[in-house]
Amino acid sequence: MKLLFVSRLERWARAVSAITRYVAVARRLGHEAVMFGDSHADFSSIPYSTDVKAFDFAIFVIYEALDFPDLPYLAYLLDGMPKERRVIIDCSGVYNKTITIEHDSNHFEQLNGHQGWEWIESFSAVANKILQPTVRPLRQDVIPFLFFGFDSSAVAKHYSSPHDAAAAWSAKDGAGKPYGIAYVGHNWQRWSQLRLFFEAVQPIKDQLSTMQLRGWGWDRRPDWAVQHEFAGVDVDPTLLRGLGVEIGETLPFSEVIEFQGRAKFCPIIHRPLYNELGLVTNRTFETFCSDTIPILMLPPSTVLEIHGPDALSLTPGSEGLVARLHDMIDRPAVYWDAVLKTRSHLAAQHSYERRLQELLAILEN
Amino acid sequence: MNILFMTDKRANAGSIQAVASYVRAGDELGHNIVLYGRPDPKYPGIRWSTDLSSFDHVVFICEFEIHWISRLLLLRILTQIPRKSRAILDADGMYNPLIAVDMYDRNHRDEDARAWWVGRCDALADKILQPTLEPLNPAVLPVPFYGYDPTLRVEPRTHDKRFDIMHVGHNWWRWREISTLLLPAIESIRPKLDGICFVGLWWDVIPPWVRELNLELAIDLNVDRFKQLGIQTRPAVPFTEVVTAMSEARINIMTQRPLFRRLKLLTAKYFEIFCADTIPLVMLDPDQAESVYGPAGRELALHGNVAAKLLDAIQRPKQYQKAVEDVRHHLSAHHSYRVRTRQLVDALQS
Repeated sequence: MKLLFVSRLERWARAVSAITRYVAVARRLGHEAVMFGDSHADFSSIPYSTDVKAFDFAIFVIYEALDFPDLPYLAYLLDGMPKERRVIIDCSGVYNKTITIEHDSNHFEQLNGHQGWEWIESFSAVANKILQPTVRPLRQDVIPFLFFGFDSSAVAKHYSSPHDAAAAWSAKDGAGKPYGIAYVGHNWQRWSQLRLFFEAVQPIKDQLSTMQLRGWGWDRRPDWAVQHEFAGVDVDPTLLRGLGVEIGETLPFSEVIEFQGRAKFCPIIHRPLYNELGLVTNRTFETFCSDTIPILMLPPSTVLEIHGPDALSLTPGSEGLVARLHDMIDRPAVYWDAVLKTRSHLAAQHSYERRLQELLAILEN
Repeated sequence: MNILFMTDKRANAGSIQAVASYVRAGDELGHNIVLYGRPDPKYPGIRWSTDLSSFDHVVFICEFEIHWISRLLLLRILTQIPRKSRAILDADGMYNPLIAVDMYDRNHRDEDARAWWVGRCDALADKILQPTLEPLNPAVLPVPFYGYDPTLRVEPRTHDKRFDIMHVGHNWWRWREISTLLLPAIESIRPKLDGICFVGLWWDVIPPWVRELNLELAIDLNVDRFKQLGIQTRPAVPFTEVVTAMSEARINIMTQRPLFRRLKLLTAKYFEIFCADTIPLVMLDPDQAESVYGPAGRELALHGNVAAKLLDAIQRPKQYQKAVEDVRHHLSAHHSYRVRTRQLVDALQS
């Protein structure tokens, strides 16, 4: 089958990593996945095409309105591909009534001017099938499809046993693990959780070496956020410095796995809205490719559903975050056992091969 | 016919007055004419809708920008309204070859910008309308679009005019004509004139973004010269107050950016100024003035000796009032919004 992905690719955001993997997996399985548009030097491994009629389906991967192409391309696309062969993957749950969780929301009308009904009507106008990367969509007419997956070939280091992994992880020379904690992600609806996380680990800061925060917008609250009184990009750089957190530039998608592997721990955090809707992201899976112990700061139900039962020990659990990290430092083999078992679970249940087959089944149904 | 207008609505600029007049004329003729959007008290007289499915035709009123059509709205337009039912009113003559007038005014920055614009228009709509009777591009349908709405007329007042001369319009590609023709003329007769006022955007100060956007030619100004000539400035007024504002002066001068004159593009101001209780003097070629306003229009063309004409109008207002009334009769007969609505309906059906 020939699939035409439609999205807005950037090296450091959204679905670039997942689409790159769909392209490779489709090729391996005898299909073809191509990006819509003119070829782009930043994404040399991704083929591009504007020959809409040469494809069986158009797969729109949408986070925000600007992920749809502009004119004239949008007209070519909609004229060339009939509605029944268009599918939207709604990555941020905009195809729902307006939902506000803390200061997160699926419809930021004050930023983009769009009311909730516009998302619903526009998506309905474009495609018969709307997919969301959650196992429990709120709307009856949404098809659950996780979209993101686990690429075991991207795992940075394979270990023959948890003890080997723990030994490498605990090595005292510090060469392999210069950081105690690293988080890679943009400052978008994550500050309140990250702040609590970094504050919580202060009692064991001395055992963790440096803490790293990489992504857009961690150095200051942007002027437009101040102007719009928008709380979703709050940040306190002084507080971060005081907590021993170093801020750095954002990383391109191709460097994230390696960078995270330089840290002993990497938290996985979802926006409040995503936790509410059960939406998964690329990072939900990709962090398990890094040579690190992921700390799942997610609702236990999500962890159980997505990562499997072994991953529950990678959450703070009832003991709390500090106690859990203490135990991980004291008994790393126990937790590496959980990491390796979770990797196996992800490889079995959430591989991109499996995702592609699920997508094809949805398209053919 | 059900017609939906879409535009980047602004209360103090653009075509919002024309939309309000189309709504009224449409009602008289049995057409349902509506502007896309939600009701907004800043825009009295406008009928609104966000339901695309109820309309036979959509007309995008575009000036020099088109990005106000959001992607979500585009999705609905492109999927719910057949291409043959979509038309663009190209108010600023952008759907043309690259045109630069006297190395000054221009419709596009360069050929790439022109191709980008034309590509977007071609993708969006089947018909391109321009408010001119003589389009350069054979693919363009000439539709005058803007018209005369006598319901906007105000009661004449013979006294308490606050100004002798007023200019209502934004400082947008007008400075060269104003600084080289109008201001020298005013200077030569200034002692014989009372108050003078320029109403509109950017007559008091050049905004800081002008240089960033490389718009120094489009928005230029000499504040000292205004002060020296005793010219007051006032901010732009909403469309509901334009005619009232114009009526505060004995004479109103209409200028038009050079590109528009070259393309013979009509604007709302061509007709709005004749609704005011004032003597309109239009800085147009007399032939162009006559083609729009009828024979009396020649008399109101501010052409040649500008200073003498201004002074003559101040000193012999009755002579000019006669020409103004003749023009109003001509406009009522040939350029009313009833006529315009029929022309628009014909163009959309063609």
